[in-house]
Formats: sequence, structure tokens, C-alpha cells
Amino acid sequence: MTERRQDIILGGVFAATGLSAAYIAAGYRGASGIYPMSLGYVIAILGAIVAIKAMLKGSSEPREIIRNAPQALLTVGIGAIYLALVPILGFYIASALLVLALPAALGFRRLLFTFVTAAIFVGIVWVIFSVILEKPLPMPVWISY
Amino acid sequence: MELISQIFGGVFAFGPIAAMISASILGVFIGALPGLNPVMAIALLLPLTYSMEPLVALGMVAGIYNGSMYGGAIPAILLRIPGTPAAIATTFDGFPMAQRGEASRALKIACWSSAIGGTASAIALMTIGPVLARATLYFGPAEYFWVAMFGMASIGVMVGKDAVKSLMAAAFGLLLGTVGLDQLSGTPRFTFGEVWLLSGLDLIVILVGLYALPPVIALAEDRDLKGLSASALKLESVKVPWGEVRSMIPTWLRSSLIGIGVGILPGAGGNIAAFLSYNAAKSTSDDPESFGKGNPLGVAAAECGNNADNAASMIPALTLGIPGNVIAALVLGALMIHGLQPGPQLFHQNPGLVGGFMVQMLLTSLLILAVGGAAATRIFAQVQRLPGVMLVPMILVLMAVGVYVINGRVIDLWVMFAAGIAGYVLEKLDVPLAPIVLGLILGPMAEQSVRRALLISRGDPTELFTRPLSAVIALATIGLIVWPMLRAWKRRRA
Repeated sequence: MTERRQDIILGGVFAATGLSAAYIAAGYRGASGIYPMSLGYVIAILGAIVAIKAMLKGSSEPREIIRNAPQALLTVGIGAIYLALVPILGFYIASALLVLALPAALGFRRLLFTFVTAAIFVGIVWVIFSVILEKPLPMPVWISY
Repeated sequence: MELISQIFGGVFAFGPIAAMISASILGVFIGALPGLNPVMAIALLLPLTYSMEPLVALGMVAGIYNGSMYGGAIPAILLRIPGTPAAIATTFDGFPMAQRGEASRALKIACWSSAIGGTASAIALMTIGPVLARATLYFGPAEYFWVAMFGMASIGVMVGKDAVKSLMAAAFGLLLGTVGLDQLSGTPRFTFGEVWLLSGLDLIVILVGLYALPPVIALAEDRDLKGLSASALKLESVKVPWGEVRSMIPTWLRSSLIGIGVGILPGAGGNIAAFLSYNAAKSTSDDPESFGKGNPLGVAAAECGNNADNAASMIPALTLGIPGNVIAALVLGALMIHGLQPGPQLFHQNPGLVGGFMVQMLLTSLLILAVGGAAATRIFAQVQRLPGVMLVPMILVLMAVGVYVINGRVIDLWVMFAAGIAGYVLEKLDVPLAPIVLGLILGPMAEQSVRRALLISRGDPTELFTRPLSAVIALATIGLIVWPMLRAWKRRRA
């Protein structure tokens, strides 16, 4: 996608966000709403300037947003699955799985190295957070019940 | 006298000392690893500091900051890969020196220069900070409002390629700062009926997402399966003769002053300080052609300049509550975690803590000499052999655990993740992230100040402009925004 089109979309998104915020803030009573409403209008105006500037003299050169789409999307996807698994499998099991699975998904094939690193790393996290700092972390759902 | 003994008593206790040493070592490791940066490291560290003593937490922040700014020089010199953006200028002469077989000498010069720059900067913080804090006692709500606006405007104008996008990001940050219960009237704003949003968006959660996730995605994109091969370089210990050290003193003095000046200015960072120092060294040299071909003075200027920015950037942060750069913003976050409000009151209410942090900035600058020596540098060079793809899940886990322990809520993990993805996309679209963070920090201060000023004046908005001090800061703010626009307009007409 060209820089021009990207900036038009970017400006449009910010303008819409600003207007929505201003509309919502207009419903707040008294001085509570004036400040966020003003900010909403400022964002909308600046967003419109970005979009108009892009329309009038934006570059038609392509601008790269994702340098390596498969790797980036894989990381974001596996990261999201990890976050979804944390409350189900508990923090440590989900984390161990992430440290084992993500490098493999990204093409790292030294399995023994991965296993040893994962074990040491999760062990260090456990010692710091659960033993030393005594922080309560999500437990597996079957233990929570 | 009592204050001095309180400061030194606090700093030289076991906890803060251990924190400074371990964080300085960790900082050099982080700086040495391309892809990791001090902002990310401090953002990841902040959630951990909730349960720590303030001086232990601040000692860790100071150690990581100073350590990583030096650590960035290691891959810059050995591999021509700047470990941090501030180390870009170090590659110009550092790498040619390494190619000539003088890697160890270049690293030693970088180590000394970093320590000297950092020390000069800490001394500036210790001397200028309290004076400025005293001057700000004359500030009322109107002045504070304009100071916040000045900080936002200077960052908006100076950071990023497009001033409009930067200002848009700043306004968006200010808007994010309004989420939650209005502190003056108790009205819930932008909470959409969600109870967890009543307390507002957690600064640290957003910070971790914005600053830690984009580099993680970038590391994954690099798909580094082998790590770097810095171990092949010869790093035997060398002695730098006294004559050469003496010849660097003017460069160190000049670069320290430049770095301090840049640090005080909100919006400018270590990379600008390094470039300005490098250019100054080159333009004052008898042999400017040798720069870029392995001149040790180039390494000395760049490293001294970027470290001289470190503590100086804390001057507006600690005295006015206006962070000079993102790391200063993170330090404000660390102070807020411990219930301390940056600004002039901080110096009066917690002089021991502020003084202690200043001393810690000084000590951690000197610690670089100990942790960045020849043997240590050889070990740090080995760190670069870690495959990047192994670091990706480890940082994700640290982000998750760090964010979860703040409030014990899974929802925060998703907020962090969303902020990170937004940050990744916005950066690619040339929207800088620093103004968003600063807006989030300064938003409540700006809103409360303007509303208090209007309450005092019974709704008369001229109160914001008619006080002499507020008028001066307001004019400076307007000038800061209008001046670049006028220059661009004149350039177009010419």
C-alpha cells in the first residue's frame, strides 16, 4: 500500500476516534466533559490534517508495515494463543509451552537447546516471582477448582 | 548535614548497592544485545519494583539506564550493529578501529567516555535540579498547565518526522489519560460500564506493551537462528597511553556539555546528543578526514555525548514532572508506583529519595568502569551468540508476568498486547510513541492544573495567560509550535 493511502486511512481513523470521543464526552456532566471533548476535537482536526495532507501531496511510494509477514503474524498469533491459555493452563505451563513452541514455529530446530533453555528460563522465572517475590500467578484451571 | 547522611545512608545500604551492581551488569547485557533496548528493559522491570523499597527500585533503573547506554557500544564497535539507537554514531569510528584489530582499545575508550559523560551528567542533575525545583515553587496551576503543554509541544515538534502526527499522538495520549474516574468530580469517563477501567489505563501496562512488543515482533521478523559471531573477534587487553587519554579531555568536556544541554531539552534523546558531539569533535579536529575511518576521538565523542544525556534528561522530569525522554518518563512511572508525585514538591517532601536517586545515577555511571572492563566486555560479546528466536518467547513471558503482577488481572495482558500491536503499526506509519506515553503521564496534571486555575479565577480563562510567568511559558509553547511551521512555509516559498 502506498504512503498516501496509509496516511489517509491513519488520519481517517484518528479523526473518527477523535469525533467519537468528543461525542461521548459531550454527554459527561459539567467540566468533566469539556477537557476530553476538546481533546477529541483536536485529535479529529489533526487526523483530518494528516489525511488531507496525504491526499494533496502524499508520496505514492510503498511503505512497508510488516517486514516479514509470516514471522510477525506467527509471533502475534502464538502470543495471543499464549495469553488465552494462561488462565486455563496456568502461567507456568502456558509459558513453558510458549518457550518450546515459538522458536520451533519460527524455524529453530535445535530441540535439546530449546528444552534446556526453556527449563532454565521457566525455573528462573519461578524462583524470582513465586519463591522470592511470592507473587500469585494464574494456576491451571483444574487446580483453581 | 543530616540530609546528606540520610542520602548516603539510604544509598549505601545492602539493597540499593546490590540493585545498582546487578542492574548495571544486566544493563550492559541488554545494551549489548541488538534488538533489546533500555526502554524495553526498564518497562519490563517496572512492574517488579512494586514490592521493592524506592531506592532499590530507582537504583535498578539507574543501573539499567547507564549500563545499557554503554552496552550499546559493544556490538556497535565489534559488529557495526548499534545495540541502542544512541550508539549509531559509535559505529562510525568504532567499527573501523575493530577492523584494524583495535577492538579492545575502542571498547576501552567507549567505556571511559561513557563513564565520564554519565558522571558529568549526574553532577549536572545534582546541581541544576535543586535550583530549578526551588524556582518552580513560584508556579501556580496556570504555570503547571503551560509547562505540561510546553513539554508536550516540544516532544511533539522534536520527535518523529512529521510534527502533525507527533502532535496527534500527544493529543491521543492526553485523551487516554482521561479514561477512568474524573478525579475532581468522580464522573466515570470512557469506561463503557467496565469496572476495571474505573481506575484508568495503567501506565505501566501500556508502556510495556508499547515499548516491549514492537522490538519482540522485529526480533521474530529477523529470524536470527544462530546469533551473532562476535566471539571470533580478538579482544585481548590493551593499555591506552596517558598521552592519548590527555588528548581526549577537550572532547570529553565538549561532549559532556552537549549531552547535558540536549538532555535537559524535552524530546531530544541520546542519539541526537551523540550525533551533535560527534559532529562537534569532527569540526574542531585538525584532521577531520580521519573521522569515519577509525579516529578514537569519534568513539570518545559519541559515547561521552550519549551518556551525558542520561541523568540530564531527569532534570525536567524530577523538577517539573516533564520527562525529557521516554526513559525519564519511565522513571516518573517508577516514582508514581511508590506514591511519589514528581515536581518541586518531590524535592521538599522526599529530599532523601531524590538525592539518593541522583547519587545512584552518579554511582552507576562510575560502575560502568568496573562492569565494562576488558574481561567483562569479552563476556558481554559472547551474549550476542544467543539466537534471537529464543529471546522472542522469553521476552513475551517476562512481559506477561510483569504486567500480571501489577493488578493480578488477565485483562491487563490483553490491554498490553493490544497496545503493543498498536505501537508496532503506529511506528511503521511514522507516528512516534513517546508523545502518547508522555500524554498519558502529563494528561492528568494538565487537566487538573487548568481546572484548578479556572476554579481559582472563577471560570475566567484569561487567568491562564495574564500571570507574567504563565504568559511567558504560553508564548514559548505557541512559538515552539508555530516556528517550525513558519520555517517550512518560508522554505516552500523560497
